Amino acid sequence: MERSERRLTELSFEDAQKELEAIVERLERGDAGVDELTKLWERGEELYRICAAKLESVHGRIEELARRDDAAN
Amino acid sequence: MKVEAREVEGRKVYTVRAFNQGVATWLQRLPTLWVEGEVTELRRQQRWQSVFFTLKDPDDGACLSVQMPRGQFDALRLELKDGERVHVYGRPELYEQRGELRLKALSIERFGLGAHLAALERLKQKLADEGLFERKRPLPRFPRLIGLVTGNDAAAKRDVLTGIQQRFPPANVLVAETYVQGPRAPVSIATAIGDLCHRGCDVIVLARGGGSFEDLLPFSDERVVRAVATCSVPIISAVGHEQDTPLCDLAADVRASTPTAAARLVVPDLAELRAAVERTRERLHRGAFTLAGRHQGRLDTARERLHRAPLLALERRRARLDNAHARLAALSPLATLERGYAIVRRGDDVVLAADVESGDAISVRVSDGTFGATVD
Repeated sequence: MERSERRLTELSFEDAQKELEAIVERLERGDAGVDELTKLWERGEELYRICAAKLESVHGRIEELARRDDAAN
Repeated sequence: MKVEAREVEGRKVYTVRAFNQGVATWLQRLPTLWVEGEVTELRRQQRWQSVFFTLKDPDDGACLSVQMPRGQFDALRLELKDGERVHVYGRPELYEQRGELRLKALSIERFGLGAHLAALERLKQKLADEGLFERKRPLPRFPRLIGLVTGNDAAAKRDVLTGIQQRFPPANVLVAETYVQGPRAPVSIATAIGDLCHRGCDVIVLARGGGSFEDLLPFSDERVVRAVATCSVPIISAVGHEQDTPLCDLAADVRASTPTAAARLVVPDLAELRAAVERTRERLHRGAFTLAGRHQGRLDTARERLHRAPLLALERRRARLDNAHARLAALSPLATLERGYAIVRRGDDVVLAADVESGDAISVRVSDGTFGATVD
């Protein structure tokens, strides 16, 4: 459990979103069994929380590179 | 004009003023002519009568002061900038107060627009032949660090940064300010592109607002075009306006029509992303419920069948029993009795003629019943 938690937070937003979409498609195809359905649902919800948290939490920054006047001669 | 000299101790001596006047007068004999050079140190002020600049020989740096009445200069609407090549039509004159020679300009023309265009066209062909305009890589969906190469002129830089921050506040941007016009610009831009790659940017935006043909020339400079074409990460060129096509636009992976458009290309829209994630979650719920419903339905059907099964089994058995019974009935002696036979018993025993004597009581079974009789 702890391992999978850690793995989840290490996921990039893009990967989490892709996996979530894959799960949704799997569910929409309708060939998942009952046990699997539960697992897919839980994993999907977790991935959703990861995605949403990632979108909320990160803040960007703008930095200025020191101007290199020596380059321009 | 006659310049007067004084006699001092046997020699002719001129005052400075007289000397300058003399030279100035002599200079007036020189013809009016065209001089070619590069504009530097352009000085124009509203309260001055004249505009001044220095004309520099691009090959060896020789200089010549130029003066032109401000009204005439403004009427040309050249909007000259330092570094531009011009042809100046004028004649030499002496600024008497300071004894300085200068060219009094009557007209100024930008030099060599046609020559510039032809050179650009040749360069374009050469770089195209080398395949520098063919590489078009996709942009990263979520850039980790965006490099922005721009001048310190507010507009282009502000447009890109504002656009990025509005769409995707989590974006990280590293800004490299460079010269974007004039002779220092090409090296400055090419160096900045290399620096930003080196510092780990995974996409670069090269932005410059609109400007004159000359203003945008550095963005067609071979050094800049090569830097763009060999940039190790995808690069978006947003230089000038829609109608301008500097060569760096062709070498870039993606061309944006304006700095704002570049911002739209380089980062995703956060609000849209959020909405997409919410939509996906709704689909997750709907998909799961639909599938769970289908499983439930299958289960219900199974249970119903389970409940019905014993009754069905019973019925099947009863049918089998009825069938057996019918077959049994067909084999029964009663069927024979119906054809007119009778079973005769004495007591419990079936009797034969030899067994009975006159007066014995016997019972006779026929198809519809039994009656008693006495043997004769």
